[in-house]
Amino acid sequence: MSVPPVGQFRLFLRLRVRQMRNTGRALLDQSAVRLVAILAASLTVWLFVYVVSHSGFSWIKGYPQYVPAFGGIIGLLFDFMFVALGMMLVFSTALILYSSLFTSSEAWFLLATPARDDQIFSYKALGALGFSSWGFLLLGSPVLLAYGVVYGVSWAFFALLPFFFVGFILLPGCLGALACLLVVNFVPKRGKQLALAAGLLVVVGSAAWVYRAAAAARVQPESREVVNQFLGRLDVSQGILVPTHWMTRGLQTAGQGYLLGGPRGTSGALYYLALVWSNGLAFYLLTTWLARRLYRRGFNRLATGGTLRRRYGGARLDRALSALLGFLDPQTRLLILKDFRTFRRDPAQWAQVLIFTGLLALYFGNIRRLFLSDIDYAYQNSISLLNVMTTGLLLCIYTGRFIYPMLSLEGRKFWILGLLPLERERLLWGKFAFSATGGLLISVALVLLSDLMLGMPWLAVALHVLTVMVLAVGLSGLSVGLGACMPTFKETDPSKIAAGFGGTLNLVVGLFFLIVVVGLMSVPWHGHAAMTGGYEVVGAGAMSGLGVTSLVGVGAGAAATWLPLKAGAEALRRMEF
Amino acid sequence: MIELDRVTKTYGNKTAVRDLSLRLEPGELFAFLGPNGAGKTTTIKMICGLLFPTTGSVRVGGFDVRREGGKARQLLSYVPDQPYLYEKLTGREFLQFIADMYGLSAPYAAARLAEVVELFRLEDFVDDLTERYSHGMRQRTVFAAALLHDPRVLVVDEPTVGLDPRSVRLLKDILRRLSEAGTTVFLSTHSLDVAQELAQRIGIVDHGRLIGCGTLDSLRLQADLSGSLEEVFLRLTEEEAPASAL
Repeated sequence: MSVPPVGQFRLFLRLRVRQMRNTGRALLDQSAVRLVAILAASLTVWLFVYVVSHSGFSWIKGYPQYVPAFGGIIGLLFDFMFVALGMMLVFSTALILYSSLFTSSEAWFLLATPARDDQIFSYKALGALGFSSWGFLLLGSPVLLAYGVVYGVSWAFFALLPFFFVGFILLPGCLGALACLLVVNFVPKRGKQLALAAGLLVVVGSAAWVYRAAAAARVQPESREVVNQFLGRLDVSQGILVPTHWMTRGLQTAGQGYLLGGPRGTSGALYYLALVWSNGLAFYLLTTWLARRLYRRGFNRLATGGTLRRRYGGARLDRALSALLGFLDPQTRLLILKDFRTFRRDPAQWAQVLIFTGLLALYFGNIRRLFLSDIDYAYQNSISLLNVMTTGLLLCIYTGRFIYPMLSLEGRKFWILGLLPLERERLLWGKFAFSATGGLLISVALVLLSDLMLGMPWLAVALHVLTVMVLAVGLSGLSVGLGACMPTFKETDPSKIAAGFGGTLNLVVGLFFLIVVVGLMSVPWHGHAAMTGGYEVVGAGAMSGLGVTSLVGVGAGAAATWLPLKAGAEALRRMEF
Repeated sequence: MIELDRVTKTYGNKTAVRDLSLRLEPGELFAFLGPNGAGKTTTIKMICGLLFPTTGSVRVGGFDVRREGGKARQLLSYVPDQPYLYEKLTGREFLQFIADMYGLSAPYAAARLAEVVELFRLEDFVDDLTERYSHGMRQRTVFAAALLHDPRVLVVDEPTVGLDPRSVRLLKDILRRLSEAGTTVFLSTHSLDVAQELAQRIGIVDHGRLIGCGTLDSLRLQADLSGSLEEVFLRLTEEEAPASAL
């Protein structure tokens, strides 16, 4: 009485639908506030991206003479966006699939049932795709809709947009899944190193590509020949066989209303849509076919590839951190080292930080090449402010995703820490110091890189550095403090803790704090520069005004650090386990 | 019903199971004992097809677990020491998922579902989300799911941990009845009293090697003792330790 594959597919689909329905009901019944907070936060991000994109497209449309490679800029932007989002999908799908296929208890459970290996793989892969494509939807859809609205494109663009989106998700998602399967099967002991090497390769490759593109973009756009040469240099993203380019061409032709065929015998939007879907589905079939042969084999290899008891020793990184924290008392230092070890031994955690930081560093390192020669200082002024905001956003994600769950994760082992001869609040200070140290290192380095590349004056650099320092410290205090006030000791998955009510509230408060601090500490200088048309701070009043707003910002940072930590320490003292 | 033929399993350069041969007949209740890290769970995972033997073969119901894993797993149920439940499903939805996965017809599944719900006294909570279940409730639900499709082989890892005395009694009665009805039960446990009370044969594994296998009386003979299973177990594993250290 075995269930045929089609039946199993339906069975897993029903399982997924039931889980989603029950989750939705539980959310509505138990914490409607949480649901509203999640939706509000998503809508805020979506609207923010939409407004920025709308302004950008309006500017491009209004001032084509300032835009490098004028006619091709929209296609170029789309190519960039789809390549970046596609890369994000490849990595996030591979990482999510690795843990859900090979280390989750659900995988152990399902593999002991008569479920077929390819069906389990397919169920997990589609789940991972759905999960990782949220970012794609949240960031990609407002950009494309803004383009459609600004350029007044054909209805076909809006009608086909969802189909292009869903079709495109398949290809990079399957590529990530395939990479995950192959790595586990053929290099199970070197997976971590290979993932790191692949990440570095992508960063270096992207840097080289951006450098070439930027070098071409700086040419004078008047000459048609030069423009063609520029577009030709972007061959990596614009090749006829590159799926991201099918998306760009498909959406552009849909925008022009060419469904079946374009002018001069070119292909219409439906042709590109068919290309995206047929290749995506073919790749999906290939991946599931391989999974039927490789999934259980890989599972076995990963489970038994190493030694029974892997020996972990002291690492140089630990010793370096310990030396760096020499000024702290030994107990706090030990607590920080414990958290650092836990963090660095979980590649799913640090890989995300590494990828985001790497992408930002890549962007900051190349921004000057892309824009400075063509765009005046006013644009440079706003870009540097935007980069501070982006770095702050990275800090928000870092503290919300990794720092907020840390105290909840101590729940099941609190009998160890709770019985140690140390004050409970020292746990908080340890986590705060760990978070603030990491946040400071990342954010200060990124902002310095951005400002130096943009050639910003020293006062702006100082203000930006001070802003991100306040953000790193304040967001650490918020996340650690709120994490202690609203712990979720039953949950062992940090991503679920971060996505819970407390985690969502922490993210929303963190975003609000980010806006306040940047608004007080960086925006006044940029506003003054925009109004006076130069970087010189004119007048003693303006200078003292900047000083006052910066001091208020530092005060807000101190309050955001001290108050949540104090409340968290109080909650921790009264807590029973 | 379960055949392990000269099975060896290595993890890198460590050997977890060494040249293990074992044959279990239909309806046999077999207890598998051993100190921590002896290779019990690895053996169980190989029987269930979760891990493959490095050398040797494992067959369940005549099917090679590696080559015909789907058919072998159709015959067996596995209850791990830390069972998995979908947190966002109710107990009833989970049981229905298992019934569908094993291809039970709708009327038969409904009848069996009602039977196991009653047998394991799940009525009070079977329609709640499993995320609210206590350990005992989870364990009973998992056992109900394992028996839903009338498996011919039941593999159980540490079933009594965390259960109250009444639930332990219930579980022991059910395992005994299953065995009498022809189901082969492979029971891995540290509870020597449970093994002594239920098992027809007992296997003792240490450092990956089967150091004793037979009825309690034959093990007593081997250990040259007339005491309880606990004394026999301690003697045999004590003798094994220095030998394996050589």
